[in-house]
This record gives sequence, structure tokens and C-alpha cells, in this order.
Amino acid sequence: MTPAIELEDVRVRLGATTVLNGFRLQVAAGELVTLLGPSGSGKTSVIRAILGFIAPDAGVIKLGGRVASESGRTVIPPEQRGVGAVFQDLALWPHLTVHGNLAFGLARLRRDERDRRIAAILDRVGLADKAYRHPGELSGGERQRVAIARALVLEPKVVALDEPLANLDVLLKRDLVELFTALLRERATAALYVTHDPAEAEALADRVAVIQAGRLVQAGTIAELRAQPAAPLVEQLLSPRRKPNAG
Amino acid sequence: MCGRPWQERAAVALAGAVLLASVAAPLVVLAADGVHADARAMLTAASTWSLLAWSSALAALVTAVALTVGVPLGVLLGRTDIVARRAAFLAHAFPMFLPPLLLALGWFHLFGQSGLVGSDATARILFGPAGVVGVLGLAFAPIMTALTMLGLDAIDPSLIEAARLLARPPRITARILVPIAWPAIALGALVVFSLAFSELGVPMFLRVRAYPAAVFARLGGVDYAPGEAFVLVLPQLAIGAALLCIERRAIGRRPLTVLGLRRDRLVFALGAWRPIATAACWAIALLGLAPIAALASRASWRELGSWLGASARNGLIDGAVAATAVTAVGLVIGRGVARAQAPARALDALAVLAFVTPGAVLGAGLIAVWNRPATQLVYGTSAIVVLGYVARYAVLGTRPIAIALARGAASLEDAAATVGAGYLRRLVRIVVPSHARALAGTWLLAFVFCLRDLETAVLCYPPGGETLPVRIFALEANGRPAVVAGLAVLHALITAGVLALGLALLRARRTW
Repeated sequence: MTPAIELEDVRVRLGATTVLNGFRLQVAAGELVTLLGPSGSGKTSVIRAILGFIAPDAGVIKLGGRVASESGRTVIPPEQRGVGAVFQDLALWPHLTVHGNLAFGLARLRRDERDRRIAAILDRVGLADKAYRHPGELSGGERQRVAIARALVLEPKVVALDEPLANLDVLLKRDLVELFTALLRERATAALYVTHDPAEAEALADRVAVIQAGRLVQAGTIAELRAQPAAPLVEQLLSPRRKPNAG
Repeated sequence: MCGRPWQERAAVALAGAVLLASVAAPLVVLAADGVHADARAMLTAASTWSLLAWSSALAALVTAVALTVGVPLGVLLGRTDIVARRAAFLAHAFPMFLPPLLLALGWFHLFGQSGLVGSDATARILFGPAGVVGVLGLAFAPIMTALTMLGLDAIDPSLIEAARLLARPPRITARILVPIAWPAIALGALVVFSLAFSELGVPMFLRVRAYPAAVFARLGGVDYAPGEAFVLVLPQLAIGAALLCIERRAIGRRPLTVLGLRRDRLVFALGAWRPIATAACWAIALLGLAPIAALASRASWRELGSWLGASARNGLIDGAVAATAVTAVGLVIGRGVARAQAPARALDALAVLAFVTPGAVLGAGLIAVWNRPATQLVYGTSAIVVLGYVARYAVLGTRPIAIALARGAASLEDAAATVGAGYLRRLVRIVVPSHARALAGTWLLAFVFCLRDLETAVLCYPPGGETLPVRIFALEANGRPAVVAGLAVLHALITAGVLALGLALLRARRTW
């Protein structure tokens, strides 16, 4: 089966720094993979390369089997990749209402179809009564829900999430992890979820990919990684004795 | 945590005293002096209100032209891959730092009856309302361009990236970029309207009736009647207050910046449109420089020194002193605004009121307050011009400094406070060094605006204390055109030199 996301020997340089160096990863259709690694390991660069904001200097990025970027060239521009995204700071447009934030990407749909889709996803994330509020009028948790709703309202095959829960408290984070997982699974959406929190990775993912210094260290289920860690970092991150990181 | 709180109160009180003396006192005295027996008749005369409406309409049209030119140009120069966009912006922006009268003189040498490409038809258009709107619209368009670029520059890149996943650049620009940059654009429109409504030199030169000219005629012209002038400025004062209300309601409550985690600037590739867009941007930029080129081609340099007198030196000294005061006042008040302190916000509002209030009102107010035997030390010297500049341009100090400080980390100051540093020590040892470039930029902006000022200085300059724009304004009516053109080019060169030197110094200290 064609992978939803495929990165083959991707190298990315930003200025004098090589942030990804021969990075390889596959995410199957409908699979939930978390990308786990310490700060500065290149996690966000993986997401930005998949979204099309940076082109790899070498290697290939494929989405649904189609080449999206290769060797210094963006083949498919960001707006044509059909990838949903949730950003670390959520990036909700402050001048638009919740409805406006969701409708922006649905301009090609008929108005009734657009409104139906927005109403359905808002109902699912529990914000049906907040459609005409601005982001500044919502709580932190509600804004997270709007961000995931905006990513999913397009019904993408792939979603990239860049530490969307990084700044939340433990209880809210647990609720939202459950919501994100349910939403992604019920839509069979492939997702690459970046985090530095092993507890979050464990709660969300089918597989965990560990990244260090721009390279994939190891990928597999939590059980596999715990049973046979390929590097000290994997062992440190996923040791059962390690106290879960609250964020 | 904050030791020696009296220091902060004293500093704010001092900055407030400067603003009260230069802004509030003139406006209050003016309003009081305006209440006399003839005031009612003047204020109810249809001619007063029709002239006011006419001037307002001209200012609105100028604002529309500046918006039409400046906003698209701001988007193109700020967020696309136009060829040599930085140079194009500098060329486009330069006329903004010159008195509009100079540009009108340049257009006259191009399109006047005996202009380089002039004819009866072009002269008729230039010497009419269309000429005023065109000259001022192009003169003030760079303000819109610069503020649009500032607004776009302040947008968190992730907001743009989120949109780039869903739409193409034109839709992102229309639905995301411009609406988010709206506070900066609206501020630009307000500034342009205020400047156009205040403008004295261009309508007088192009012989188009305007409200500020009517006030000026009663203060320094053939219809000398200061009492009437004080009455006439009352409606202008009301419009200034209305503009302040708009600024407070529509702009002041929204931040000029939408700050995020990243500060990198995303640029849209124009693709096949790049050559056309580049040509359009450069054409507009060079159009703004055309009147300066025309002045240079007609300028005579003989006997320029005798016509110049001390005017250039006066302007430089007055401007430097005023810019220093504006920066100092701006540092104290801007810091308070950045920390959301109510007294500072009130003083900032007073500074905004002074800026949106026509220069003629401030000038008339300064005369009313300071033209007394006991205060000749101020009124009879260049101190009155400095006071006028500080009043008019205080907002150029408070706002940029407030934005710069709001973007910086307040924790830097807090850390100093925890080890016992009082307000003044924190200000001098932490705030000033960590925002030195912003402060230097503020000083430069205030200095250049003082250099270009005509409306404030022309009403209250002391004998022998006239500035270069005032000298050009006085000579324009009956001086030799070639000499006037020479003085205008000299002013442009001085401004260019000041800007080049200032920008070079700012760039040299970029590590701050």
C-alpha cells in the first residue's frame, strides 16, 4: 500500500547548519506516528519540509506516492498538497471568527456544503455554540479545538501537528490527546505528530519515531522501542521508570 | 519589587509637563480666547463651514489616493520578490521626508506653463484641486506604504504559513495579510488625512482655497486679525478631537503588531508577474523623485548663500533640540504605554491629539500662550519653534518607542528591579542600551519631520529664526524661481544627507 507520507534520505540545510541529514520515515495511510526528540533535533524542520515551506537540499518527499519536493525543488506548492496542519502557536487568524477560520480553506465549496461541514466538525469538537466568536474570546483549550477542526475540516489524507499541546496543563492535555486521537482515527487520517513529551507520544501513536541531530534514530511501536532501544537516547526517552513529562 | 517609585512618578510628571505646556495649554487658551462676541457670527457663517467641508473633502481625496497607491505598493515591496525592493522603497520613501511644498514646486517646473513638459492644459490641472490632490497624494503615499510594510512585517509568520496551506498569495493578501495589518493601515490613513488637512504650503502655492490658509492669512498675512484666527481654528480643533476619538476606538485598542514566536519574513514569489510588478513599483518610486529632478534642472546656485541666510542652520539646530526632547519624552511615555500604565496612555492620547490637530491650530495656540511680555525669552527666540515641534511630533516619539518596548522582554527590567535598581537606573542602564537602535531611529524620524515642518514654524518663528522651509515658502511668491528651486534642492540634499548618515549609523550598530 502506498505510504501517505514518505521521506527518503532528506537533507535540509538552514544557513550553515544541517538540520536534517539523510532523514528517512514512512507513515502509512491512516497511521498515527509521533516524532519524538529533544529540542533542536530537527522535528519542526521535518514538518515544514512536509508542508512545503522548505525544500530539501537532497532527497525526496512523497505524499500519497506523488513527489512533493525533491533536491532543492518544491514540486507541489503548499496550497496544493492537501495536508492539514496544526501549528505550535495554533496560528488562528485573529481577525476571523471560528467559522471564518474554518471557511477560509473551503472557498471552492458551495456555501451550504461549506456551512454543513463546518457545523459538523464544530459539533464534533464541542464548539457548536462558539462559531461566531473570535479566537481572542476563547479559552486555551477551545483554541486548540479550533486549530484541529481547521485542519480536519478540509478532510485531508494527511495531517501534520507541530507540538500543538506544548503549552497546556496536564489535565487539559490529556483531554485533548483523547480528542485528537479519536478524530484522527475516525477519519482514518494519517498523522505525523511532533512532540518532545514521551507521555504524549505514547498516548497518541501507533508508532514512535525518535529523531536526534537531524537523523532518524529508531522507529517502531512503544513496546518495540522499549524492548530493543537502538540508542541511549531512545532508552532515556522511553524508559518506563521515566517520570511522564507534563509538558 | 520596583524600588524608588517616586523616580518614575517624577519622570512621567516631567514628560507630562512638557506636553501640557506645549500641547494642552495652547489648546485650552485658544478655546478660551475663541469665546468672544464675534465668535458666534464667524462660527455660524456658511462660508466658514463650506471652506471647512471643502478642505475636509480635499484631505479625504488625498487620503484615498495615498491608500490606493501606498497599500498595494506596501504589499509588493514588503512581501514579494520585487527586484531590488529595498532600493525601490528608499527611492519611493524619500519624498515623504520633504515639505510637500518643495514637491509642488518641482511639479510646477514639470507641468507649469513654462515647465519642462508643461502646457496651458497641464498648468490648469496643476493649479487646481486635482493638482493639490495629486501632489499631496503622491507626497503622502509613502507613509501608507511604510505603515503597510510595518503592519505586514509584524504579522507572525505562522499565520501566513497556515494560510499558505489553503490558498494562493492573492487571496492570502486580501483575506489575511491586509485585514491583520489593518490597524497600521488605518493609522496611516489617519496620519495622511491629518497632514493633508493641515497642509498650508501646497494649496496656497497652487492657488486652491483651503482652511489652513484662511487661518494663516489672519495670523501673518494681509487679513491680520489674530482674534478671528483663534475662532477659525476651533472647528479644526473639533476635527482633531474627532480624529483622536477614531484613533482611540478603531486603532489605539488594537495592537499594531500580531507578535508570534518567529520573526522571519516570508516572501511570495511573483513568478511570471515579477517583471511587470517590478516595473510598476519602480515607476511609482521614480515618479515621486521626478519633481526633485525637475527642481535640480532649474536650480541656480549663484547667490544662494545670501538667500539662504541662517535658515538651514536654524532648522538643523531647532530640529536636533526638538528631536532630542521628543525622544526623551517618548522614552518615558512610550515605556508607560508599553507597560499599560494609565497616565502614560492619557499623555499618549494628548500627543496623538497634537499630531492630528492642524499645525495652524497649534501655531495659533502657541502664540496665544507665549506672546506675552513675561515670556519673550521663549516667544522671542527659537525656543518657541522647538516647543511647537515637540508638541506636533511628540507622537513620533511615544508610539515607535512603545512598540519597540512592547516587543522586547519586560523581564529584562524586572530582573534589574529584583537586584534593587530604581526606575532611572533601569531606564538608563537597561532600557536605553537594549533599545538603542529604536531610540536612535525615533530621534532620526523626529528630526527629519522637524526639518520638513512648515505649518508649525511659519506661524511662530522669531525674527531671524526662520527655517529653510519657511524661507522657501516666503520666497516662493516673489523670489526668483531658479533661486527658490536651488533652495529646495539644497533642502532635499540636507535631508538626504541626514537620512543617509542616520541610516548608516543605525546599520553600523545592528548588533543591538
